[in-house]
Amino acid sequence: MKFTISQDAFADGLTNAVSAVNPRSTLPILSNVLLQASGDTLTLTATDLDFTVRTTVAAKTGKQGSTTLPAKRLSTLVKDLPKTDIDVEVDAKSVATLHSGAGIYKIFGLPEAEFPGLPAFDGSVEFKLKSSDLKDALRKTHYAISLDETRYVLNGIFFSFKGDKLTLVATDGRRLALAEVNDLEIPKSQEREFIVRTKAIQELMRALKEDGDVVVRLAQNMVQFDCGPTTLISKLVEGNYPNYVQVIPTKVNERVTVEREALLNAVRRVSLLNSEKTASVRLTFGKGNLEITCNTPEVGEAREALAVPYKGKEISIAFNPEFLMAPLRYLSEDEVHIELIDDISPGVIKINAPFVYVLMPMRVGGA
Amino acid sequence: MNNSPSPEGPESPWAQISSALRGELGDGVFDRWFSTASLESLDAKSLTLAVPNSIYQVWIESNYAAQVQAALLSVLGGKRKLKFVVTNGQSFSEAPMAAGAAPEIEVEAEEKARDAFGLNPRYVFDTFVVGSNSEFAHAASLAVAKSPSRTYNPLFIHGGVGLGKTHLLHAIGHHIARSKRGAKVAYFRSETFTNEFIQAIQTNSLVKFRKRYRQADVLLIDDIQFLGGKERSQEEFFHTFNSLFEGRKQIVLSSDQPPSEISQLEQRLVSRFEWGLTAELQPPDMETRLAILRKKADSLQVSLPTHVLEYLAHRIKSNVRRLEGALLRVASFASLSGRPLSDESIEHLLRDILQEEARRAVNIDQVQRKVAEHYDVRLADMTSKRRPAHIAFPRQVAMFISRRLTKCSLQDIGEAFGGKDHGTVIHACKTVQNRMDKEESLRQIVRFLEASLQR
Repeated sequence: MKFTISQDAFADGLTNAVSAVNPRSTLPILSNVLLQASGDTLTLTATDLDFTVRTTVAAKTGKQGSTTLPAKRLSTLVKDLPKTDIDVEVDAKSVATLHSGAGIYKIFGLPEAEFPGLPAFDGSVEFKLKSSDLKDALRKTHYAISLDETRYVLNGIFFSFKGDKLTLVATDGRRLALAEVNDLEIPKSQEREFIVRTKAIQELMRALKEDGDVVVRLAQNMVQFDCGPTTLISKLVEGNYPNYVQVIPTKVNERVTVEREALLNAVRRVSLLNSEKTASVRLTFGKGNLEITCNTPEVGEAREALAVPYKGKEISIAFNPEFLMAPLRYLSEDEVHIELIDDISPGVIKINAPFVYVLMPMRVGGA
Repeated sequence: MNNSPSPEGPESPWAQISSALRGELGDGVFDRWFSTASLESLDAKSLTLAVPNSIYQVWIESNYAAQVQAALLSVLGGKRKLKFVVTNGQSFSEAPMAAGAAPEIEVEAEEKARDAFGLNPRYVFDTFVVGSNSEFAHAASLAVAKSPSRTYNPLFIHGGVGLGKTHLLHAIGHHIARSKRGAKVAYFRSETFTNEFIQAIQTNSLVKFRKRYRQADVLLIDDIQFLGGKERSQEEFFHTFNSLFEGRKQIVLSSDQPPSEISQLEQRLVSRFEWGLTAELQPPDMETRLAILRKKADSLQVSLPTHVLEYLAHRIKSNVRRLEGALLRVASFASLSGRPLSDESIEHLLRDILQEEARRAVNIDQVQRKVAEHYDVRLADMTSKRRPAHIAFPRQVAMFISRRLTKCSLQDIGEAFGGKDHGTVIHACKTVQNRMDKEESLRQIVRFLEASLQR
């Protein structure tokens, strides 16, 4: 096997693939990345059996073939090589020789035959949507995924392809983010609901391009995201996602529109005067005015005011500042709508698009 | 609205707790999260709420636990551990256990009849006597039983026959089955696995077979060493193991040898078995043996004089099962004959067991002597590095017999034969075994040597 590839393309491809390698893997072959050269492309595949990344990059194949090489080592090396073309040649004993400028590097690999095969997705249920739509919906929800491993059903994003839309939901029990991708055509027989693991979500967000389509294929307990040059395959989270609808308030009393960035900046500055133990900021909505305050004994206090078109009764409500800032960071709209019921009921953030964020208030000084 | 649909009257504890909660949380929150909840059970330690689905549990646990405790404090005067049952679907903290359990209830019914998953009801943690020999294995098992698949996965318990491997495995199964509702505990001997696998291949029902094993929440496999040499079974088990492990299901295995010494076991299985925690059960010491006898005597409701128990504990060292057998024999003799027990009468009663026990006392030195004598080579040749066939082969036979009759490890044996490594000993054992398979004369010689050594 023999191919020539630019350092840039090789390094990018390897960075993508290496994300699937589990550094604590007990099987030597799983520390390796599979390289397959043919025609104008080099295909890189890495897996930890639960999660697989396959990506193709442009390369000139001298002699087609395939091999596996230690992923971490190869990736670190290639990233450090000068920005020229790299000639790679692999002999029958899986020893790869890299020529880059004046450097020659020999790396011992393992034969391709040992590398696990990829799950097949032939004839599986398939959904096609715009890559940018999915990326956007993931950005709007991923931060609310639970990190608590004892509730492992929540360690991922819930995907629901139903009706004519995809609904994504993430929650950790104190907040919930929901986003939708509309105008899809989903036949009744193809409606599916499943949970995608956190790790796959992170890599998926990187792999999704701003243009083009993504194809989602579902087979048994695996899901495949085909994002053009990169394909991700991940095991699904087993179990049923809780019925989240119950969490979203149905009746709200007050609604106000706030400039997203102004609110984010104010909350961030004010929350700097929190101590690590008790992190909370208080939002006091009064006529035409939103006051953001924080008062930490032995640290200090902060107060900022924003002019907002608020006309309802006064409500003073405390939130975890990180939880309040997360959606503000990941949304791109200029304005957000805040909906409130009272001092102790959850607050809701919405935008002029199908998105809902429910945030439980903190009970400062309460039980 | 103020009351839950539970059958209790207006002054029931739940009604009082509800109204306290309503005051604490306000109508909006209460109606949303608590109006559909009902009291499942309440005792001195815990309060169990029945909720319609798992989101209630998630939300109440995350957001209202403090308020519920405050309400409990004011109504009952003390806090309780908060638990949930989900009436429609699966409870949350138990979701990993209950995942996929619901549709299998009918399939399981048959197994439940066999005393809940085929576990021996007497094998629970309470009846396990812990001594220094079994402390570690017991602690590891208990940890696994208390939080399956969070602590040590897989747990590999190994030790000689009759030292309590099966007991610990069953105890883990019982504990999990009791503490996690709907948990599917699968207990099998590896032989059952192999047989069912073969049957599944014959009847072309592999899918059903896989379902049976791979949907378990806790897989307990006894005597895993019998997988040795069965390649297809090993492969199938490898996949079963992986799929359970990835699904974060607890796996507990037992064997009479540590993973690396099980013969003809594929390396990938060995490495997986060694992945989690390996705990060894050793023969019990004198005090532990006595404690085991006392406990067993209690459970059999017999009372024997202390000197009898001590005599048994002193003479039978290798194996708990044999110890219990001897106790039973002595106890039934005492109750049938009505005569007081003397050491002589016990000795007579247990002569076969004691003889078997004496067999344990063979050491490498004796083996070397006997073999050297039989083959008419010098004793020094047993430990020399010379390798002409007439010396090397008796040496291999001696290693083989040492392996079978003594409890020494491969290393110890190699060492005793002039600093050979364990590979040499394995090779010797294999060579002798192979030749024994073919040659009747060698079989006779080995049988004769072993018999005369044990006499």
